Amino acid sequence: MKTEDLIASLASEPAPPPAAPLGRRALAGLGAGLAVTLALFALLLGPREALGTALAQPLTLAKTLLPLALAALATALALRAVRPGARMGAAGRIVWLVPGAALALFVLAFTTTAPGARLALFLGHSIPICLPAIVILSLPITAALIAALRRGAPEHPARAGALAGLAAAGLAASVYSTFCTEDSPLFYSTWYSTGILLAAGLAALIGARALRW
Amino acid sequence: MSERDRRWGDLLRRAMRGDGPAYAAFLTECAPVIRRIVLARLGDAAGDAAGAEDVVQEVLLAIHAKRHTWRQGDPVTPWLYAIARYKTADAGRARRRRGEAPVPVDDLAEVLPEEAPRDAMAARDLGRLLDRIDDRAAGIVRAVGVEGRSAGEVGARLGMSEGAVRVAYHRAMARLKELAEADVTEETKR
Repeated sequence: MKTEDLIASLASEPAPPPAAPLGRRALAGLGAGLAVTLALFALLLGPREALGTALAQPLTLAKTLLPLALAALATALALRAVRPGARMGAAGRIVWLVPGAALALFVLAFTTTAPGARLALFLGHSIPICLPAIVILSLPITAALIAALRRGAPEHPARAGALAGLAAAGLAASVYSTFCTEDSPLFYSTWYSTGILLAAGLAALIGARALRW
Repeated sequence: MSERDRRWGDLLRRAMRGDGPAYAAFLTECAPVIRRIVLARLGDAAGDAAGAEDVVQEVLLAIHAKRHTWRQGDPVTPWLYAIARYKTADAGRARRRRGEAPVPVDDLAEVLPEEAPRDAMAARDLGRLLDRIDDRAAGIVRAVGVEGRSAGEVGARLGMSEGAVRVAYHRAMARLKELAEADVTEETKR
């Protein structure tokens, strides 16, 4: 078939109906996934005692806010990743502040903790809950977000999936942090980051399949 | 923004509002640019000129299917190049996977579950999938994909233009792929 004929037939089709923009769909997906995650959280874990008092401590608050910042930035980046030719822009640089801040808090805690107490705080008592909880709580959000992003056209599907996973895991870690009583950055900078990276890796695998077009 | 970005942006904006001639002009001006990208990136893997032209058409269909991902006001060329790169890489992978026989029926191999035991099973699965799309589309898939007839031949029989057959074929393949994927998901759930 001649390319001119293909062009003629494509051009004769009616204009696409005005559809909800990708960004709005992604946010709707994020919200729907978050609702499931919150329900799971309420069912399985629930918030810690005296959450309000705990969050008055800056280091404890950072445990909740840093993943939230990651989620916001990664959502913006995931949306760019599914738009052909879009640049990552400022958000692509700012997002590195999140791991940077986590590392800085780790170093701060390391230097301010008595040498004998470091290992106990680093290992904590809840690694076997923390890692699977962050991954599992991220999955509903990952699924809903990737489903919304399928309308896009990522040049690198795995990368777009990983960014969606970072957004989902950031939200999941933020929710989980309200259950978790390990308030030292020696613990959370390490193990939250590990959980988030596991979830992002899983999402990259999902994206590599589900986001092809 | 370059002169070309301004011109293409203007044409594409009008196209999105339903201006067919502007859309045709846009695609016609894109085609040679896409052809250069395809030839440069695919190299020997493109095979003959017809093989490369198939990929150019794949890119045009992708632009058509994903035109909503262009944001009015953004430069058109980075968007267009990214789609061309992705679809060309995809075509290159598909060609390497299926070796040196770019017969249309191979498209069907992707539709069917890989682990399905050989031809009888595959044919039955395909038949079952074809039953679930409308008769005309199923007829086009059978004629083009299975019997290997040309789009022109099928078009003449059905009183459709060659282009319309090609578009209908692509739509039907996409639909079949969706159905097959849904089936696989269901089976894994079971």
